[in-house]
Amino acid sequence: MNSHRTLLESNGTAPSSVLSDPPHPRLFRAFGAMLLDAWREFLDAKILFLLLGLIGLLLAVALTGRVEPLPSGKNYLDLSARAMAANLDGVDLARETVADMAGRLNGSVVWIAKAEPLGADLPDGAWSVELKRSFVPVAAGPLPPEDVRRKFGRIADGQLWNVRNVAETSDTLGRNLGMQSFQLTVDPGPDLRLLWPHQFSLFGDAFDLTPPRGAPLGLEVLILQKLLTTGLGGSLLLLMAVVVTAAFVPNMIRKGTLELLLVRPLPRWLLLVMKYVGGLLFVAVLLGLLVAAAWLISGILANIWSPGILLALPSLMLFFALLLAVSMCVGVITRSAVAAMLVTVTYWAVLFIAGQMHNQVVESRFREENVGKLRPTSVVDSLRGAKPRREEPLKAGRVPFHRTLVGRVTEWVYAVLPHTEDVDTLVDRQLMRDLAVSGPFRALVERAEFSWSRGVGLTLLHTLGFLLLACMVFSRRDP
Amino acid sequence: MSRLQALAVSVNRLEKRYGDLAALAGVSLEVEPGTLFGLLGQNGAGKTTLIKILLGLVAPTAGEASLLGEPVGRLAGRREVGYLPEDHKLPEYHTAPSLLHFYGALQGLTRRERLARIPFLLELLGLKGREKLRIRGYSKGMKQRLGLAQSLLHRPRVLFLDEPTDGIDPVGRKQIRDVLLEQQRTGVTVFINSHLLGEVEQLCDRVAIMRRGHLLVSGTVAELTPTKPTWLVGFETPPAGGLRWEGCQLEAAERPGLWRVHLDASAPDSLDRFLAQVHRAGLRLRHLEAERATLEDLYLTLATSDRQAP
Repeated sequence: MNSHRTLLESNGTAPSSVLSDPPHPRLFRAFGAMLLDAWREFLDAKILFLLLGLIGLLLAVALTGRVEPLPSGKNYLDLSARAMAANLDGVDLARETVADMAGRLNGSVVWIAKAEPLGADLPDGAWSVELKRSFVPVAAGPLPPEDVRRKFGRIADGQLWNVRNVAETSDTLGRNLGMQSFQLTVDPGPDLRLLWPHQFSLFGDAFDLTPPRGAPLGLEVLILQKLLTTGLGGSLLLLMAVVVTAAFVPNMIRKGTLELLLVRPLPRWLLLVMKYVGGLLFVAVLLGLLVAAAWLISGILANIWSPGILLALPSLMLFFALLLAVSMCVGVITRSAVAAMLVTVTYWAVLFIAGQMHNQVVESRFREENVGKLRPTSVVDSLRGAKPRREEPLKAGRVPFHRTLVGRVTEWVYAVLPHTEDVDTLVDRQLMRDLAVSGPFRALVERAEFSWSRGVGLTLLHTLGFLLLACMVFSRRDP
Repeated sequence: MSRLQALAVSVNRLEKRYGDLAALAGVSLEVEPGTLFGLLGQNGAGKTTLIKILLGLVAPTAGEASLLGEPVGRLAGRREVGYLPEDHKLPEYHTAPSLLHFYGALQGLTRRERLARIPFLLELLGLKGREKLRIRGYSKGMKQRLGLAQSLLHRPRVLFLDEPTDGIDPVGRKQIRDVLLEQQRTGVTVFINSHLLGEVEQLCDRVAIMRRGHLLVSGTVAELTPTKPTWLVGFETPPAGGLRWEGCQLEAAERPGLWRVHLDASAPDSLDRFLAQVHRAGLRLRHLEAERATLEDLYLTLATSDRQAP
């Protein structure tokens, strides 16, 4: 003991508590050190600053944008009147759209005879409206003003208007003949602004991104948020993260570096897992910045602060957790950053293609089941003046995709692959509900099946599998 | 035997095979605590494999190895050892203090302990004043010294150093030798792998030589380098022609101006008689040195022979 004590004292510091420490603080300390190390390595790859710069640039470009409402009050009053011709009671607004109302017609026709804005023709202005209703006395009775108050402004996409006051102006004779008229004052409803067509342009007015009649604000925000996060922006960031983190493991297990780690009093698998969590956390910070930027941008531009887009973070993280596990596994086996990067990107491409092909299978099956039925329409369609279309049967002799061999193989393969886009679907659903987006996109998203075990469980299972393999190879190999 | 009195290193008939290749073919070795031990051998002799087995980094194929009385490979045992690998590559994105904090934390040192220990080590190894420089900008010698610093960080009781003075200038070598001697003085066992024979001879108390997985010889430097029955002499004015005297003969040595004289080792007064003859011949002596076998002699003999371990 003497010799040991002399060493401790000769360096003039307090005796080491290493031997008496309980294991947990030591593990936390080691974990903290690995995180810090991963952070340094991440910072060292200058790509991080490039990423932050890109996010900043994105923010700057987005802030040059202008979102301006277009006059559209009459359109939306019309739409509300037409919707009164259908019985919307008990309709699931998340799943059914205007087109689905066909079977719910209540034997009446409702239209706007006259409408005057009380202020400007903007999504925050009130209107004075003269409403006419014609009905078949045998099929439908007169509508009491209270029902008009309850029904007017409600369309499948959301609540356009709130009726402030309503008075019936028709006389008994008219009512008996099937003619009613009402005088209403309406205020903007909670969803009016989201559904109101807006013009969206970048760099002042220089670069107009919307069609001449504009697009509903909610849809514009949805597209913007998706583009920045789960779409192009997120994919680019993930790709860069894959490139940066691909070198993590090969650098760590380089001869001459690995020994310096393995000689520490920590199990090998733990070193690898700590490195994994470190990489994950720093990419989470980056993705968090991106998602926050998307939320800020849409908030500042459109004054829509609904937090649904924040769900994109766990979705992106889940996907990156899988990619990082693949990359680490390949890195451990091959010791090559390039191989780790290439295999990971290839794996990603396989998942993407399998997902796309599976979508085709789902589409094909849906089409077959719904031949002759109306396709969903939305406010966007009605803005364009489009008539609802019906699902058309396939040309004679063509086999639906889901019945072909490729389609079947696709389904089998897809059944065992991670379903990362399922989680995206969950995000889309939330966004579309928040932003009152309907129509074919919405129908597609609502139609897709989602289960936690498949959407999240399968992805986690694959992630764990790759990690486990990496740990096994790493633990068994001689340095 | 208590743990602290146990042998620092004990290896018994240790074998390591990679397929048909025997990196270690039955090595037995013991190192007492507090020894500065030098393991010599050519590249591929099995020195590094032996160290890696002792550190628990590589599993042996057969045989036993223990460190401070405990079987190798236990996590707790790693708190007692420091290691400087050969051709180490320190992560280049670190600075010296950040790297030492990183390794220290993995080793289990608290922040307070590290804050006290790191400046001390940087100063000790002459790295003070370079705290902000990334390792990327370090010279080979600086990297080597930083590598040594990380091995000393947690005050290990056994230090394994694989080629510690490789690529270091003479001043740096002296500095490292001093550090190692100081470690030994405080009771640390230092186990050095090297092919720098002079260095090992100068530094180590005990030496072993390995060749192709076998341990050929092991002992103190004095044991392995016995004195020879020859002396080197130099004269102020060289004698003309070869000299031949009673009981001895002078021949020109390899070093210029020196002569080698073989004296009868069994006669205790042979040197006195030789000096008397020099005096009688009217020559004035200015150099007299007893010749020893060097480690190099032994090493070259063993390395080129086909001798196997006993």
